[in-house]
Amino acid sequence: MSTPTMSPQDSRHIAKDAQSTLQWRRFKFPGSLIRYAVWLSVFVFLAYSVEYLEIPLERLLGIFGRMGATLANRYYPPDMEYIMDADYMRYVVETIQMAYLGALFGLVATVPLGWFASYNMTPSRCFVYPVARLVTMSCRAVHEMIFAIIFVAILGYGMLPGVLALTFFCTGFAGKLFAEEIEAIDIGPVEAMRATGANLFQIMVFGVFPQVRVAFTGIAIYTWDVAFRAATVVGFFGAGGMGWYLKRNVLQIESERVAAILVSIIILVFISEMLSAWARNTVMKMK
Amino acid sequence: MNNKATNTSPPRITSQVILDRRRTARMIMAVVYLVLLALVVWSVQVTVIEDTDWNRLGGFGKVWEAANRFIGLDMALFPNLIEPAIETLMIACLGTLLGVFLCIPAAWFGALNITPFKPVTYPLARMMMTLSRSIHEIVWALFFVSAVGLGALAGIFAIAVRSVGFIAKMSAEAIEDIDPGPVEAIRAVGGNDFQVVIYAILPQVLPQVLGVIIFEWEINIRRSAILGLVGAGGLGLVFFRQMNTFNFHGVMSVIVAILGLILIGEALSHWVRRALI
Repeated sequence: MSTPTMSPQDSRHIAKDAQSTLQWRRFKFPGSLIRYAVWLSVFVFLAYSVEYLEIPLERLLGIFGRMGATLANRYYPPDMEYIMDADYMRYVVETIQMAYLGALFGLVATVPLGWFASYNMTPSRCFVYPVARLVTMSCRAVHEMIFAIIFVAILGYGMLPGVLALTFFCTGFAGKLFAEEIEAIDIGPVEAMRATGANLFQIMVFGVFPQVRVAFTGIAIYTWDVAFRAATVVGFFGAGGMGWYLKRNVLQIESERVAAILVSIIILVFISEMLSAWARNTVMKMK
Repeated sequence: MNNKATNTSPPRITSQVILDRRRTARMIMAVVYLVLLALVVWSVQVTVIEDTDWNRLGGFGKVWEAANRFIGLDMALFPNLIEPAIETLMIACLGTLLGVFLCIPAAWFGALNITPFKPVTYPLARMMMTLSRSIHEIVWALFFVSAVGLGALAGIFAIAVRSVGFIAKMSAEAIEDIDPGPVEAIRAVGGNDFQVVIYAILPQVLPQVLGVIIFEWEINIRRSAILGLVGAGGLGLVFFRQMNTFNFHGVMSVIVAILGLILIGEALSHWVRRALI
């Protein structure tokens, strides 16, 4: 018996399967129907939005050629002399300062806000917690550009509105991360301090902050990195820094200068990314 | 003699050494803090004190007056905000979808373990990611408006290109962390590269990648809400118009609408995350 034959057991199984029409399925009946319906509605929504936004589908085919042509004709030789100017360098330094101050003020605001917005450490869960969550969420939800425009409308042109806009942006960005970090702490030291009769403030300073110190430094460095990226364009609506240069050249359709400014932004962001990665690694090692 | 040499080669740790080390660490920290503080003072001096036109601001009362204009809502505007809000949401959805398609090659080339030709494709993908993340969405939108004209399409492209960097970076990191077992198994039974990706890599990274995509979609709603400022439609356009007609209560209404849209987006993403992952 070298050829494989069906054992009586196997044939019995097959007969059983044939008798019962039940088949194995990954998703059972009502669930499967809901699944298909959800996928179908997602596709219908996407198709409808293409229709609703009046996207010229017939023009999409040649679009990449046209983009390449735009890049090559208008933007290609970046006017590097323009960005080597001393005046431009001053604006670059201003951008860095703005990002630094915005991140710093935002982080200072984050310390109490992260405390109030962490579910395990908040002084009052029914009042302070939702308020702090709402503040963090609104700072995160509103784009930094909108903050910049509003502060420019209130305070006039200059770097102060830029710093304030970045402060709000960084508060929203770091607040959530910091609150999550506090929520993940080891509760043991906190309970020990509570047992010895420490008040809320003492618990925070001696029980919680030592645990999140390193994480907070990491968040701070990351926040600075993100703030710098935002700071490069906050000036677009008059809030200081190199964004104003960008806007001026965009409006004058000096595409080659715009390209040069973009190149400088990319280089600066790259440097700041490397620096922040290095700083974060150093801090983590010191832990 | 020999014995002594081996004894002294690792420096003996005495309490004095530990104290010295602590003192050096403290000194370094003090210098770092001093430098940071000096930078703060310098920046405040340059940005806040010198650059601000304090005479024009004219005291706290005037600033409060200027800020007070913004307090209040223009209720009549809300019915007109529904359509731009839907538009914003659609731009965010389509932009994220396009971004996901664009990030497939970037994630494939950017993951060290599956990149096809390491010396060329890996730096190329890394460069794409940095490029996409370092340029702000406003600037991308300006570029695409000049390339494809005003309208939602420019916004969709801007959002797609801007979200490639983050999604591709996270996906590439997820791919680098996979368990190589299934990949070897598929290879051993004769699967080609494509089959390896479909049956060995994708199932392992899908939950993480989906989480990243949903997270990015949430951010993209917030981004698409301002793309109208440079001519890509949606709520940003209404914001721009209200601002330019000095209807400050209308501006606040638009911001409330953006907040509402983002709340809806957060609820949706929470629900989708629970359903999918």
